[in-house]
Amino acid sequence: MRRNELRALNLPIADELAKRSGSRPRVRPQECEPYAIAGIVPALVFSPRTLAEAAKIVSTITLEGAAISIRGGGTKRYRPPHPYAVDVVLDTARCSGILEHTPADLTVTALAGTPVAELQDALRAHGQFFPADVPFANASTIGGTLASGAAGALRHRYGAPRDNVLGMRVCLSDGSLAFTGSRVVKSVAGYDIHKLFVGAQGTLGLIGEVTLKVAPLPREEAAVVARFTSCADASAVAGRIARSPLGTLATTLHDRPSSRRIRMLGGGRDAEWSLVVRCGGTRSVVARQIDLTVSLLRQGGATGIETLDPDRVRFGWADVAEAAGGTTYPGDRFLVFSIASLPTKVAAVCASVADAFADVEQTAHPTTGMTYVHVPVEGAGDAARDVRRGLGRLETLCEREEHAMQILAAPPVLGRIEQPPLPPRAPVALMRAVKAAFDPSGTFDPGRFISGI
Amino acid sequence: MLDALARRLAAIVGPEHVTTALGDLSNYQYDGSADRALPQIVVRPGAAEEVAAAVRACDEVTFPYVARGAGTGLSGGAIPESGGAVISTARLDRILEIDADNRLAVVEPGVVNAHISQAARPYGLQFVPDPSSQAVCTIGGNVAENSGGLHCLAYGVTAHHVLGCEVVTPAGELVWLGGKTMQAPGYDLLGTFIGSEGTLGIATKIVVRLTPLHEDRRTMLAAFATVEQASQTVSDIIAGGTIPAAMEMMDQLSTQAVEEFVHAGFPTDAGAVLIVELEGLSGTLAEPAAEVETICRRNGAREVRVARDEAERERIWLGRKSAFGAMGRLGSSYYVQDGVIPRTRLPLVVGEVREIARTYGLRIANVFHAGDGNLHPLIVFDDRTPGEYERTVAAGADILRACVRHGGSISGEHGIGIEKRDCMTLQYKPADLALMARLRSAFDPRGLCNPLKIFPTSRRCGESSRTVARGTVPSEAAAAAGPPF
Repeated sequence: MRRNELRALNLPIADELAKRSGSRPRVRPQECEPYAIAGIVPALVFSPRTLAEAAKIVSTITLEGAAISIRGGGTKRYRPPHPYAVDVVLDTARCSGILEHTPADLTVTALAGTPVAELQDALRAHGQFFPADVPFANASTIGGTLASGAAGALRHRYGAPRDNVLGMRVCLSDGSLAFTGSRVVKSVAGYDIHKLFVGAQGTLGLIGEVTLKVAPLPREEAAVVARFTSCADASAVAGRIARSPLGTLATTLHDRPSSRRIRMLGGGRDAEWSLVVRCGGTRSVVARQIDLTVSLLRQGGATGIETLDPDRVRFGWADVAEAAGGTTYPGDRFLVFSIASLPTKVAAVCASVADAFADVEQTAHPTTGMTYVHVPVEGAGDAARDVRRGLGRLETLCEREEHAMQILAAPPVLGRIEQPPLPPRAPVALMRAVKAAFDPSGTFDPGRFISGI
Repeated sequence: MLDALARRLAAIVGPEHVTTALGDLSNYQYDGSADRALPQIVVRPGAAEEVAAAVRACDEVTFPYVARGAGTGLSGGAIPESGGAVISTARLDRILEIDADNRLAVVEPGVVNAHISQAARPYGLQFVPDPSSQAVCTIGGNVAENSGGLHCLAYGVTAHHVLGCEVVTPAGELVWLGGKTMQAPGYDLLGTFIGSEGTLGIATKIVVRLTPLHEDRRTMLAAFATVEQASQTVSDIIAGGTIPAAMEMMDQLSTQAVEEFVHAGFPTDAGAVLIVELEGLSGTLAEPAAEVETICRRNGAREVRVARDEAERERIWLGRKSAFGAMGRLGSSYYVQDGVIPRTRLPLVVGEVREIARTYGLRIANVFHAGDGNLHPLIVFDDRTPGEYERTVAAGADILRACVRHGGSISGEHGIGIEKRDCMTLQYKPADLALMARLRSAFDPRGLCNPLKIFPTSRRCGESSRTVARGTVPSEAAAAAGPPF
C-alpha cells in the first residue's frame, strides 16, 4: 500500500516529538481541525517561528517516516488529488515578515509566511508592488502563492510570478537549508532551482524565504470595460489589443455569472460577456491606451463601453483576481479548474466548457490563453455525477487539442478526483527523478503532485 | 571505440556530417573565452531525432558530449574540456513557424538570434532579447546561457521570452518542457533548463514569445564628471518609477577607446557617459524624457543630448557595442568580467574596482548595463608580458569578490562554464551547491552531458586556470588546417 494511503504511522507521542524537534505541535483534534486538508484533519500541526526551527521539525519528521503537508494561508486546500491521510501540517504563518526592501534596487526579501497583502502594503508605501494577481491576498502567503504556481491576468504585462522570483532559501526533507538564485535583478550563476519550486505545490521542499523583483506602480491607471454578445468577438478584440504596441497591463473576459462577482463592472454585470482592459502608465500613455482600446472595441462590436477611474480599478481588481481560480475559498462548493490554450483558442474553449456543464462561471484571460472555470457543486448523487461527466468530457477535449488542464479545487462530495494525465511527450521520467533527488524520503506530500509523484 | 562511434554517428546523420579529422576538430576547440580544448569527434545532426540518436549513441559507450551553437559564449560553456563529442546545431537553423496572432514563433536551436526579429518584423513583432553578439549567436546558445542584452532592463532576459523547448534529455529521450501554452502541468523544468549551460540536455526546438514593436523611441546621452554621479542618476531614475528600455554606462577609458575607433560622438573629456533609451507609444515619451533629463542635471550632468535621428542613435549604439573591440586596441588582449551588484551599490563598487586596478597595476575600463547593476569591467593586458595574464585573472576574481560582498552575483549574463566554476564558492555555500548537484544528478546521473561545467573543481577562484586540454592545437596550426568542413 502506498504511504499516503494510510495514516497509522506510529508517530511517537507529541511530547517526545516536541523534545526532539525543539517545537511544540498542536495535537488535539479540535486544535488541528482548522488545518484540515480537504476535510482530513492532520495528526500534528507545527507552526515554527524561524526557518531553523522549521528545518529541525522537517528532519525529525522525515526520520519518523511521516509525511508533511506545507500550509501557507490555506486557500488552496481543496486541490486534488486529496490526501487519504495527513500526518503533519507545517504551517508557515509565524515565519513572516519583510527582511529587506531597497526601493531603488526593485528587490524585496521576505519570509515565506508573509501575507501577500502585508507585502503589497509595504511596497505600495514606496510606489511599488509585486506584479501578481493573488486571490485572497489577506490570507494568501507569498510562499504559498509561489508554491501554487498561480498566475493572474497581470502576467500579460509583467510575466508570471516565476519570472519575478530572484532567489529563495529552501528546506529539503533532510532538514538542510540551501539558498538558490541571488538577491539581484539579474544573475546566471548556477541553476535557477528557485524557479523549480514555483508551482511544485510544496512537494520538493519548503520555501522558507524569497527574494522578488518588484515593479513601480503605474503612475496612472484606468480600465476600459465593454459588453459583448459573442465570446469569439470579445476574444478577437483582445487579440488585436495584444498585438498592438499599446502595452496594456491585463485583459480579462467574464461570462455573465462570473461578471456578477465583479463589483467594478457596475451596471454591465448582466452582459453576456464582459471584457475588462486594464491600462497603466504615465498620464499620456493611459490616455492613448484608452483611446485606442475604445476604438478597437467599437470596431469589434462591443457595446456599453465605459472607462473606469483608477480607484475603482485598483480596489476593484481583487474581484477579478478571485474570479480566476479563487471562488472556492474558504468553502468547498466549487469545482475549479484552469485550461491553458493558445490565445486564439480561448473562445472555443469557453464554448466547450459551457457545453459541458449545466451551471458554470468562466473567466478567461484571452491574451495569455488561460480560462478559469468554476462549477458549483450542489451535493453528491446525480449533480455530482453530472459534474464529473462534464469534467471527463473536457479532459478528453484538452488531450485532443493539446490544451493544458489543471484542477485547482474539488469538493470532496465529487469523490476522488485526480489531476488530468500529463501529455504524451511531457518529461514524466525527469519529473520523477527530480522528486527523488530533492525529496528522496518522500516527506513532502507524496503522491499528491501529478501522475502519482 | 572512437571509430565505431564515428561509424554509428555517420549512420545517424550521414557520413558528410561527422568528422574526426584534426583540422576540422580544431575549429571546435574554442569559444569567446580564454579556454580551449579539442573534441574527438564532431557531429552535425539535421533533425531533433538525430540529436536524440546521437546522444543515445554517446551514452551507450559512455562518451561525453557538448552541444554547440555559434561558439560566441564567454565562459567556456561550449568547450569540450574532457574531449568527447561536439554536437553542433549548425544545421538545425530553420524558423519553423511564426504565429503572429498568438505572438509566438517555433524555431530550431541553430537559428541566429537576430534572424527571429527579422522574420517577425513584417508582423509588427520582435524577439526582444538582444545580446551584443545577436548578429551571430544562436537561440539555442541563448537558451543555454539565459542570455541578456542591452534591452533586458525593461523586457527581461531569455527566460522571460521562451514558452517551451523540445529537449533531448541525457537519457536520449525527446520531451517537451513547457510548450506553446502557459501553465504546462507538472514541475516547471523549463525555468531551470534555461540557463543550465547545456548541462541538462540539448534543446532541439524552441517556442519563443514575440512582442509587438514599440511605436517610438528616444535615445539620450548624458555626460558626467564622474562615474559616481552617473551611477546615482541610474538609481534615481529607477527609484522615480521610470524603467527605461536600456540604461548603459561607459567610463572615460572606454569612451576614449571607442571614439578613436568609431567616432560615436561621445564626449571624451567626461568621466562617464550614460546612454538612456526610452521606448513606448508615440507622443508619450516627452514626459519621461524630461524627467530623465532633470535627474541627470540634478546629479551634475554637464550635457544631456537627445539623438536627433536614427543615424545619430545608431552611432551611439555602435559606440556602445564596439566598446569591447575598441578596448582590444589598447593592449594585445582584454578580459571582460561580468558581475552584478544591487544597483544602489554602483558608486561604491566602482571605487573598489578602481582600487583593484591600482593594486594589480592594470588598466580596467568600465562598461555597464547600469540599469541592472550588471558590471562589465574590462581588463586590458598584454599576453606577451609574463605574469600579466595571471594578474588579470586574479584582479577579475577580486572584482567578483567585491560583487558578492555587496550582495550581488558572479555572473549577470555570461555564465559560469569553465571560467568561473571555481568562483562559485564565493557566492554559494556547500549546501547551496549540493542543491544544484541534486538537480544535475536527476537530469544527468552519468555526467556525460557537458561535463565539468558550473561546479567547482579543486582550484581556487582567481588561480590562473586557462584550460589547455590534451591534444589542443595551437591557433596557428588551426589556421593552417583549412576552412571548416
